[in-house]
Amino acid sequence: MRETAADLQRKLSGEAASLVRDPVIEVEKLDAHYGTLQVLFGLDLAVREGEIMVIMGGSGSGKSTLLRHMIGLEAPSSGTLRLFGRDAAEMGAIEMLELRRKMGVAFQSGAMFSSLNVMDNIKLPLREHTDLDERTMDIMARMKLEVVNLSGFGKLMPAELSGGMLKRASIARAIVMDPKLLFFDEPSAGLDPVVSSALDELILRLRSAMEMTIVVVTHEVQSAFKIADRIAILDEGRIIELATPEKIRETSNPQVQNLLNRRAVEPRVDPAEYLRRLTESA
Amino acid sequence: MKLIEQTGRNTVRCLDEVGYGGSLFGESLFWFIFGYRWRQPVRPNSIAVQMMQVGIEALPIATLLSITIGVMLAVQSIYSLGLFGAESYAHVGIALTLTREFSPLIIAILIAGRSGSALAARLSSMTINQEVDALRAIGINPVRFLVAPTLIALVVMVPALTMWSNLVAMTAAGLYVSQAIDISLGAYWVNTIEVLSTVDLLHGLSKSVIFGVLIAVVAAINGSMVTGGSEGVGRMTTRAVVHILSAIIVTDMIFALLFTQ
Repeated sequence: MRETAADLQRKLSGEAASLVRDPVIEVEKLDAHYGTLQVLFGLDLAVREGEIMVIMGGSGSGKSTLLRHMIGLEAPSSGTLRLFGRDAAEMGAIEMLELRRKMGVAFQSGAMFSSLNVMDNIKLPLREHTDLDERTMDIMARMKLEVVNLSGFGKLMPAELSGGMLKRASIARAIVMDPKLLFFDEPSAGLDPVVSSALDELILRLRSAMEMTIVVVTHEVQSAFKIADRIAILDEGRIIELATPEKIRETSNPQVQNLLNRRAVEPRVDPAEYLRRLTESA
Repeated sequence: MKLIEQTGRNTVRCLDEVGYGGSLFGESLFWFIFGYRWRQPVRPNSIAVQMMQVGIEALPIATLLSITIGVMLAVQSIYSLGLFGAESYAHVGIALTLTREFSPLIIAILIAGRSGSALAARLSSMTINQEVDALRAIGINPVRFLVAPTLIALVVMVPALTMWSNLVAMTAAGLYVSQAIDISLGAYWVNTIEVLSTVDLLHGLSKSVIFGVLIAVVAAINGSMVTGGSEGVGRMTTRAVVHILSAIIVTDMIFALLFTQ
């Protein structure tokens, strides 16, 4: 069987391959705040064309915030975000909407529109952004349902789907416009290991079949090592490691090892600070 | 000190919401007028669906309320004017009160309860479920897709229902008055049309256009500011209805002070 360019690229070291491609996403010195609370601290990250970048970290590490910035749902407090070589801050709202047609997002909750059935959910981007007739849109939506193994479920409402089916339907909607860049927010969260593994296979298949650049946010270690070309590990809003899965495994960084080996770390408690927290009014 | 601080915070939040409402209104108009140029049109079928939900489906309850208001106003007019022996002038008060005040107000209150709450609940549950984020990620402006069709439907249907309410309430009042003071319904209508001017009708209709805008914008502000889970949806829906009703009544008073002197 003939190997695709993406298959060959995966056989090469992810890091080496990624260096020869142009960056699709470039994040430079990115700071982000929620109110007065700073959640991202001067992040630098480049995702290159055709690679699968996995962003890992514990709860509250800032990985979902980073994803929201990459998608353009949040504006950074400072720093630069370039998508397809264009500075997001210099783009107007309409240009950003245009750019998002090249991107697909599969949200953690699925975020399917509850008032539309699965088929209409998938057809919505086509209906809004193309002049295709209804029959062609039906065919394209069915093709994407086939890709995610959901053929025959198009008439169901999102509330009638299981968690895994909901995520796959959400992926079908995300890829219906054949985007160049695909984001996954916690694709395996809340799924059993079999369904989770099937989703990993699907992500790999999407990259090799459609040559997409894929960014996955997850805290599932097994899943991350299975699909990633490179892994960025976040801790308290900072990237503490960025390397290929092999190098991440070998790292001596204790925070990374704690995350990979699922070791809980007891926070150091300053007695005076602890007393202040207990006694000060809310 | 805490009271002053709280008052200050509430004032800032209130101004913030008013500003946000203004931008929602402006953005909706922008997409309605220029959307086609940017391949982000406000689709006519979305507006038609909203018109059905906001207007046509509200017709039975709007008709019932209008009959009730018409008859109630007729009973009170006959009684109060009867104290001076002036029952034959009942049509004057009924026609002017209905067209200038009661019909716009009762329809606005009805639509606020039906469609304002529905819009706020829909937007807040979509926000909570990341559906609004999903729209933006797909490259669809949520204001254009969710708010603009409802706003346009309300701006058309609230005045249309107000006109319908005028007609139904005056007919119901006429039926009562014609029995009470022994005149024909035709004579009642002739007298009513003589009394009413275009200005009276426009007074009520222009108010109802403003009420339509207020219902859509205030519901959208509250719906999109939701936090928390399903409890937040309920809280913001209730808040939306209370704010819409308050906005309608205050606007009505301002309108009366400015244009009924």
